[in-house]
Amino acid sequence: MADFNVNLRGVGSVSVIDVKGYLDAHTAPELENIFNKLLDERQFRVVVNFNELKYISSAGLGVFMAYVETMRENSGDIKFSNMKENVYNIFDLLGFPILYEFFKEEKEALQKFDSQG
Amino acid sequence: MRDRIKILTRARGLENAIIVFILLFLFNLIFPQHDSLLLFIGNEILVFITVFFSFNYVYGFLNSKVDSPLSLVLNAGILAALIFFIISTVKALLATQNNGNGIGLFNSLFSVLLSSVFIGATVYIFSTFRELSFLRQKKDPSTYFNTMLAFFALSFLSNLFLKFDPTFDYPKDSFYDVTTVLIFLNSLRVSWIAFLTKRQKYYLLIISVVLSVLFALDYSIVIENSIMRKMLIAFSPGLHTFISLVMIYGIISFGVIFFTTLFHLPTAEAFDRKADEVSSMMDLTKLITQVFDFKELAETITTITTRVCNADSAWLITKKDNNIELGSVHNIGFVDADRVTNQLFGSGENNYDTIEIVQYDTVNPIIKNNEQTFKSIAIAPLKVHGIVNGYLFAARQRDNNFDPDEKKAVQAFADYAAVALENAKLIEESIEKERLEKEFDVARDIQRKILPSTIPTSDQLHISALFVPAFEVGGDYYDFFELEDDRLGFVVADVSGKGISAAFIMAEVKGIFESLSKIIFNPRELLINVNNILKVSLDKKNFVTAIYGVINKKTGVLNFARAGHTPIHVCSSEKIKRLQPAGIGLGLDYTAGFAASIKEMEIQLKNNDIIICYSDGIPEAKNKLEEDFGYDRLDSLLVKNYSENLDRISNNIMKELAVFSESHSQHDDITLVIFKWNQKK
Repeated sequence: MADFNVNLRGVGSVSVIDVKGYLDAHTAPELENIFNKLLDERQFRVVVNFNELKYISSAGLGVFMAYVETMRENSGDIKFSNMKENVYNIFDLLGFPILYEFFKEEKEALQKFDSQG
Repeated sequence: MRDRIKILTRARGLENAIIVFILLFLFNLIFPQHDSLLLFIGNEILVFITVFFSFNYVYGFLNSKVDSPLSLVLNAGILAALIFFIISTVKALLATQNNGNGIGLFNSLFSVLLSSVFIGATVYIFSTFRELSFLRQKKDPSTYFNTMLAFFALSFLSNLFLKFDPTFDYPKDSFYDVTTVLIFLNSLRVSWIAFLTKRQKYYLLIISVVLSVLFALDYSIVIENSIMRKMLIAFSPGLHTFISLVMIYGIISFGVIFFTTLFHLPTAEAFDRKADEVSSMMDLTKLITQVFDFKELAETITTITTRVCNADSAWLITKKDNNIELGSVHNIGFVDADRVTNQLFGSGENNYDTIEIVQYDTVNPIIKNNEQTFKSIAIAPLKVHGIVNGYLFAARQRDNNFDPDEKKAVQAFADYAAVALENAKLIEESIEKERLEKEFDVARDIQRKILPSTIPTSDQLHISALFVPAFEVGGDYYDFFELEDDRLGFVVADVSGKGISAAFIMAEVKGIFESLSKIIFNPRELLINVNNILKVSLDKKNFVTAIYGVINKKTGVLNFARAGHTPIHVCSSEKIKRLQPAGIGLGLDYTAGFAASIKEMEIQLKNNDIIICYSDGIPEAKNKLEEDFGYDRLDSLLVKNYSENLDRISNNIMKELAVFSESHSQHDDITLVIFKWNQKK
């Protein structure tokens, strides 16, 4: 089974999730747990840092779709950053860039949250 | 010959015994007095044979009772008491009458009957002693016993000498003495006593002393110069010798049993405990192989631990990812057990990797609403492959500490629990695996039924469709719809997720496309409508990517729209184009944004153009360097195989894909649909 690692850290008022390895149907529940935790703690501003993510499957994409609505309803959002090209292509093919904000660097995503207040 | 004798004497033991009894009876009725030498010898031999055959029968019969020495002892005791009762009664009755000289028919009959009873009873007692001395012997004791038997016979028959010459008594006396010594030696074989429980030992102690005295009484009556003795000797001196020897056997044997039991008493408790431990372990071993429910086993283990290790309470906890869970408790409440456990682990100093005894001197854990306290607790880890999966606790309210044996026993039970826990885990996993495999089978079956069984290929439009399912169903779907005006609709879609849930969504998607394709001919509008319908049924985290197109077979015009799916590749002569009109996946957005994102595309096909639609299983296939197969490899393959027929093209693509990802198992479905347009001349 491919390995996957997820780490949660707080930067100011924003929660940053670092994902690493392979995010597929088997590892997606780990990421879901993190999102559930964020909802419990009412943390709605999330940046997902894809720097070390090698692969994402449709089940992995589904995780963001499942939570983004709740985040946005609570004036938060899920933003993506540091995505490798092959991973970005998967998002792009599906049309995610129309619905989500992608940033080259995590910093830019954080700034975007800050500028939104 | 030997065997035949054996069969004759053993297998027909009862018949033989009955026959000789009858013979003896008749003989004595006909010759009430055996004063003449011939009659005397005849009678002696007959009595001897009777005794021999009865013994032969009785000990064969007793063999079946070997496992209960106490009941053997008790039976012997009852017979000894019976003999005592008879001889006392007879003595009392006859003492008032004559001196035994009047030999009438009645007297003779009476003496024969009495002697027969005596023979029966003593032979039974004798056989009992044989069984007892054979019980639980590691070496075969038959040599000793058979020697003794021989001397019994010699003592019996040596009475014949006395008939010739009453002063010639030393052979009889010496045989008698040797037999007594041999009796003593045989009586020492009492190792079975050790295996009795404590209760049984106390019981045996009392019985043996009573029986020893009883046999002594019997012996004294038989040997003293009483009417009884006279009558027996008159009947058969050999029998008298035999009976008195058996009585001596009884005295000695029960004397030995009494003292042996007495010496075994102090260790009786320890022996009991060991025996209990061994049998509990055996029960547990059996349980482990039969019961797969860990909770049930845990109950048994705590119960047995309490009993065998002399504890007042026992409980068992399991540990999983540092979460501690109470498995079962015995003689302690869940709340108390939980609290005491937390106290023990609270400091975090000790993780109890090996068994440990915690002694409390001052601050004792309090249980049962302050009514009781524990003085010592044994904690044994449940260890398998060096990993601790839980702990077994045995607690005492008394002051005495757990001794090394008890400590070992607690650890042994903990080991059993560890194995059982591991077993339960493995079984759970294998059940889950089996369930998943079943699920895969069902999902694959659904998928197979959803995909079209025939492909509507025609002269203008050649079509080839290839589908390779992944082990875990990936959710690929393709279909063709014959539409009015000689048009052909087609869809290639991929449902997110895997397994049975993906298969169900796939079935639903098929239904939607099938019905909408009949009413809506514009691909973009059709996709927008599909999205609206899916809104109701699709989970938030699920989505579907699709390409829907319509080819006009009259004109060669292809209209299509894409919803997040991989692009269409069109290959004209050696030039290849990837067509990827904008459009987000179905289910990603249910607002007007979806419709806004979808763009439609129209192209005019030229003669010999090849169009391919596929699922992401192809570009996302990985090699061992974790590189994607990608679009470029696919394009160059197409160009290379441009002039081949369609099936050959798809085969070559699949072959190339297999070579590329040799070390990787296919983890997503692969769908490849190829069209070739032949312009009507």
